Amino acid sequence: MPTIEHNGSSFTVDEDGFLTGNMDAWNETWVDYVKTVEGITEMTDEHHKVIEILRDYYKKNGIAPMVRILSKTTGFPLKRIYELFPSGPGKGACKMAGLPKPTGCV
Amino acid sequence: MGYDPANPMADRITDIGPPHYEQFFPPVVKNNYGKWLYHEILQPGVLMHKAENGDECYTVRIGAARLISIELIREMCDVADIHCDGYLRWTTRNNVEFMVDSKAKVQPLLDDLKSRGNRMPVGGTGASVSNCVHTQGWVHCHTPATDASGVVKAVMDELFDYFTSHKLPAQVRLALACCLNMCGAVHASDIAILGVHRKPPMIDHDAITGLCELPLAISACPLGAVKPATAKNSAGEDVKSVKVNAERCMFCGNCYTMCPAMPLADPDGDGIAILVGGKVSNSRTMPSFSKLVIPFLPNTPPRWPETVAAVKNILETYANDARKYERVGEWAARIGWEKFFEKTGIPFTIKSIDDYRLAYDTWRTTTQFKFTSHIK
Ligand code: HEM
Ligand code: HEM
Ligand code: SF4
Ligand code: SF4
Repeated sequence: MPTIEHNGSSFTVDEDGFLTGNMDAWNETWVDYVKTVEGITEMTDEHHKVIEILRDYYKKNGIAPMVRILSKTTGFPLKRIYELFPSGPGKGACKMAGLPKPTGCV
Repeated sequence: MGYDPANPMADRITDIGPPHYEQFFPPVVKNNYGKWLYHEILQPGVLMHKAENGDECYTVRIGAARLISIELIREMCDVADIHCDGYLRWTTRNNVEFMVDSKAKVQPLLDDLKSRGNRMPVGGTGASVSNCVHTQGWVHCHTPATDASGVVKAVMDELFDYFTSHKLPAQVRLALACCLNMCGAVHASDIAILGVHRKPPMIDHDAITGLCELPLAISACPLGAVKPATAKNSAGEDVKSVKVNAERCMFCGNCYTMCPAMPLADPDGDGIAILVGGKVSNSRTMPSFSKLVIPFLPNTPPRWPETVAAVKNILETYANDARKYERVGEWAARIGWEKFFEKTGIPFTIKSIDDYRLAYDTWRTTTQFKFTSHIK
């Protein structure tokens, strides 16, 4: 598994740049790193809110929320989520939140 | 300007959809859109459409491998430039069609296609075996139990004569899917080739916790065979994982689609099942699903002789026995499935007896049957 070095921290990732360990490998340095590769210029409170809700939901339920649940709990319509995370809720927000890579016929 | 990775949203064009198809109509098609009177099949692979105003459009259909290089696409463009004013189209079975607006242009087009070796074989019309709708196989997917392009090439080589002729009772649709996700048309084709596994998934306890959303893997299973479990990883630590009840597992691979730590592909276990009798048209009889008649044939690359022989046997038994216009499924239903098995010489196995949820309706609730070699 490749590793990524960023501001003194090191992360184990897969070929798509998702964290492969469990949720504990995640920290603010990871958020700062993903920001640079996902086309996000500045982190806002809205970004942090999405990430926090994703992490809470994952810890409670063991899965990422469905897009409709993410919209409902954050109050952000899908359009807004794409404005915040140009790669979308899966490849952008889940990656930044340290969740496993989305699977299925993506 | 070119794409700027530092500023990915700059100059980004999105949501423009496909170009309107009308832009690519040959003039004879554009002028007569919605005004066609009738059509004829002049010979295998050649169609003529007559318009209200007397215009004619001649179409020459050629087989294609679907998975093709840009060089071959360019060669097809050359043919279209030379004969068809630069127009061509692909069909829903991934054949390619060249259209010309007068009969005089047909023979030069056919001669040109013939001169290009077997890269552009003419056929696939009428009561033929047209192209085999197929999937990705070992070329690109991660869930296959067999290959797609390889098996299709082997089968179509053997049945080539049926592609270039009209000697069957009705058209016979072939389809292949390399796993039972069934991308494509295997569930509703006359003869279908399907990749199947025969072993339950392995579980990678070292990777599963960080890689998989466990509740997704559990709910992916149609038989409730996957349960949450605590397991030991190779370092001896307790990790959250799953347990598979092998007695309940029917090797569908859905759990692997959801969870990369549950692979099940196996060179000896994996192979091919054959299904027959599906159709999607409403002509004469309702559309129907294809049914399993051969549960397993081995994966024998590069030519899959067992699968090729099985498909050919079914096709030729049908061709000799069915009535005009009868599709494979209509023929089997008329003579009775026990006769289908007897005539094709396919051994009937317990694997063809449905045992999933709504299975009851597929059993025989009548005394009507024919004595066959299978009930000795
Ligand atoms: C089991 C899940 C999947 C299904 C059912 C599926 C289905 C398909 C199908 C039917 C095609 C068209 C193939 C063709 O016409 O040649 C396709 C193409 C493609 N798939 Fe998937 N796919 C799956 C998983 C994935 C995954 C996980 C990825 C990427 C990580 C992926 C990436 C692609 C790409 C890039 C293409 C276009 C490439 C090409 O045309 O050769 N697919 N997929
Ligand atoms: C959610 C899961 C699936 C994904 C992500 C997927 C993905 C794809 C992709 C990427 C293509 C190529 C589209 C293109 O060429 O523009 C495709 C085509 C196709 N898929 Fe799927 N597929 C999925 C499930 C299925 C299933 C289960 C079936 C059949 C029951 C199916 C039937 C087809 C067919 C027939 C085509 C060809 C359509 C055509 O070009 O006429 N797909 N799919
Ligand atoms: S049928 Fe299965 S293995 Fe084949 S392309 Fe579709 S998902 Fe992949
Ligand atoms: S392969 Fe299919 S039947 Fe077997 S455990 Fe996985 S999901 Fe269940």
